[in-house]
Amino acid sequence: MEFTILFLAVAVVMAAAWWGTRTFALALFAVTLLASIATYLHHASDVLKLSF
Amino acid sequence: MTRSLAITLNALGLYAIALVLLVAFGAQLILQELPCPLCLLQRIQFAMLAVGPILNIRFGPRPSHYAVSLLTAAAGAAFASRQVLLHIMPGDAGYGSALLGYHYYTWAFIGFVVAVVALAVMLLFDAQFKEGDKAQATGGFARAAVWLVLALTALNVISTLLECGFAACPDNPVTYELLKRAS
Repeated sequence: MEFTILFLAVAVVMAAAWWGTRTFALALFAVTLLASIATYLHHASDVLKLSF
Repeated sequence: MTRSLAITLNALGLYAIALVLLVAFGAQLILQELPCPLCLLQRIQFAMLAVGPILNIRFGPRPSHYAVSLLTAAAGAAFASRQVLLHIMPGDAGYGSALLGYHYYTWAFIGFVVAVVALAVMLLFDAQFKEGDKAQATGGFARAAVWLVLALTALNVISTLLECGFAACPDNPVTYELLKRAS
């Protein structure tokens, strides 16, 4: 679900960059980038099923 | 480099991002290989790379717009390198099939590094920033590029919703969760 929300957020950032103000688009971009890094860090702490 | 040439190159960058997203869709739909969570995160970073060029096309080239894409490319390279390292042991078959000898996450890492280099090269040309904040008249070529990446990102929203449903995405997805529930 979090990936669907992230894709949706990226689409909203693109729409804001194309139709909205520059400041609003940059702010939304910062939030989305931080959210994607947080998602990565959350999954980075998962237990790994390694092949060795 | 003139402002209009920079904008044309930014539009070409958007077409390159669209091509990456189309190839990813191709693997998903033709080869029936669903993207894993880390793969989705890399795809999201490719889509986010488009924000900088869109801002450049709309408001004119600015260093901060290139910085937006640079930050995204750095994050994308970090995510891809983690997946490369997860499968680096000899004998590990890797995740998914290979394209021209490399898995998609290896290509993603190469793609993000190429983006960093391309963005750094674009930043070398100061003349594109010297024409002030004049309103930008965008041509059809650039407008079509923006619409293409927007449409592909919207399709990814639908595809990811179908794949993961309303719960956490499985580590090794083999079916579309939402379609499975519906049938």
